[in-house]
Amino acid sequence: MKKTIILSIFFCSFSVKAQDHLLNLLSQDKPIYISYLFKGTKVVNGQSVELPSKGVLQFTIQHRFGTLNSGFYNLYGLDNSQVRLGFDYGIKDFLAVGLGRSSTTKTIDANSKLRIKRQIKDGFPVTIVANFATYVKQWQYTDNQLDNFLFTNQLSFAQQLLIASKINRDLTLQISPTLIHYNLVETLDEPNDKYSLGIGGRYKITKRISVNAEYFHQLNDKINNNVLSFGFDIETGGHVFQLHLSNSSAMIMPAFITKNTGNWLDGDIYFGFNISRVFTLYK
Amino acid sequence: MIVNKLAIFLFLMLSVQVNAQIFTGKNGEINFFSETPIEDISAVNNKLSAVFDASTNDLVFQLNITDFKFPIALMQEHFNENYLESDLYPKSKFIGRVVNIMDEQATVWGDLTIHGITNSIKVVGSFIKSKNSVSINSQFIIKLKDYNIKIPKIVMYKIAEEIEVKVNIELIELK
Repeated sequence: MKKTIILSIFFCSFSVKAQDHLLNLLSQDKPIYISYLFKGTKVVNGQSVELPSKGVLQFTIQHRFGTLNSGFYNLYGLDNSQVRLGFDYGIKDFLAVGLGRSSTTKTIDANSKLRIKRQIKDGFPVTIVANFATYVKQWQYTDNQLDNFLFTNQLSFAQQLLIASKINRDLTLQISPTLIHYNLVETLDEPNDKYSLGIGGRYKITKRISVNAEYFHQLNDKINNNVLSFGFDIETGGHVFQLHLSNSSAMIMPAFITKNTGNWLDGDIYFGFNISRVFTLYK
Repeated sequence: MIVNKLAIFLFLMLSVQVNAQIFTGKNGEINFFSETPIEDISAVNNKLSAVFDASTNDLVFQLNITDFKFPIALMQEHFNENYLESDLYPKSKFIGRVVNIMDEQATVWGDLTIHGITNSIKVVGSFIKSKNSVSINSQFIIKLKDYNIKIPKIVMYKIAEEIEVKVNIELIELK
């Protein structure tokens, strides 16, 4: 009788295990891609590894105000605002293009972002995105009449590799080796190519709010201050609000990386925000 | 004597299990539908997998949360990041058993796990078994609060408290 009981216990445990065994039949070795490394397509000023999804048009309004130390007369910088309007569109999930214009430097920028590799859970550790941007400084008719006017002199370019890793569900870190090329530089001995290394990241403090930081270090022939920025990302359904403080008021790479005169310690701190809204054009 | 008979019976049962007729499917479809007066939301997952063991009537389903595709990318992001937390709970599974089959209608009873929370459910659906395939078709309702899925009051779209789920999968005999 004992044997029967033992046997039936054994049999019962066998049939319970059978269901797990069935589940094992289903286990697939499909890679699980890590997504949503950042809330927005920008960390603060610089690009993040995020792209608008396929068929999604993202409209971004960026504002930068004057320095916080400019006194009450200028309402601590709020009187002095500049704006960049930008559109980004996802052609594919791994390819996006964008167009924007900044007010003070009167520069039109176009960029494309291509995702080369994605982070995989327990696998490839980083997401890699290439970012290419072209900047055209606008001119007026009178400039055009000058003898030495050349269209190509109005151009500058930026090439970036964005490498980011989602360390855990809250923390993402990114490094961004960047090359900025100016077709025209101000002095003869100034190099046309300027290398810099960006580091940045975000830390989620709630499901919908994260703290971001970003720093670009100029690697060769440093001519200006390095840019350091801190920000908050606040996601509210269809919008992402990014509020930040930075020692640069520019919103395009050639300006905020290599033409930044502001210094945090002197109080040259600019308040700014980005608001982005997504529209699904194509489902 | 009885012991012997039982032993033989168990032995037979075990041998049946060894020769179990097992059906598997990998590309089943599961979709869900949230209906509110303001907005209807739907998502589909075409990578539902399942196994049916004809000897024990065990039936299991499994899917990856990230395989749900939404018509709007932002909804998919919120679904994964804010509601289902697919980084913490990447899979949803059902482990159960067919308890009754009558006129190609089956009652299935078992544990459904979503968002790390397991509930016992009982679902009725069509269950058509032929010589080397099984076709399963069912729909049922799940409540978000049973699975601790919290939707904030203010979101740009409205999400229903009760979600209609439809399952459709074809299982082929595993040889």
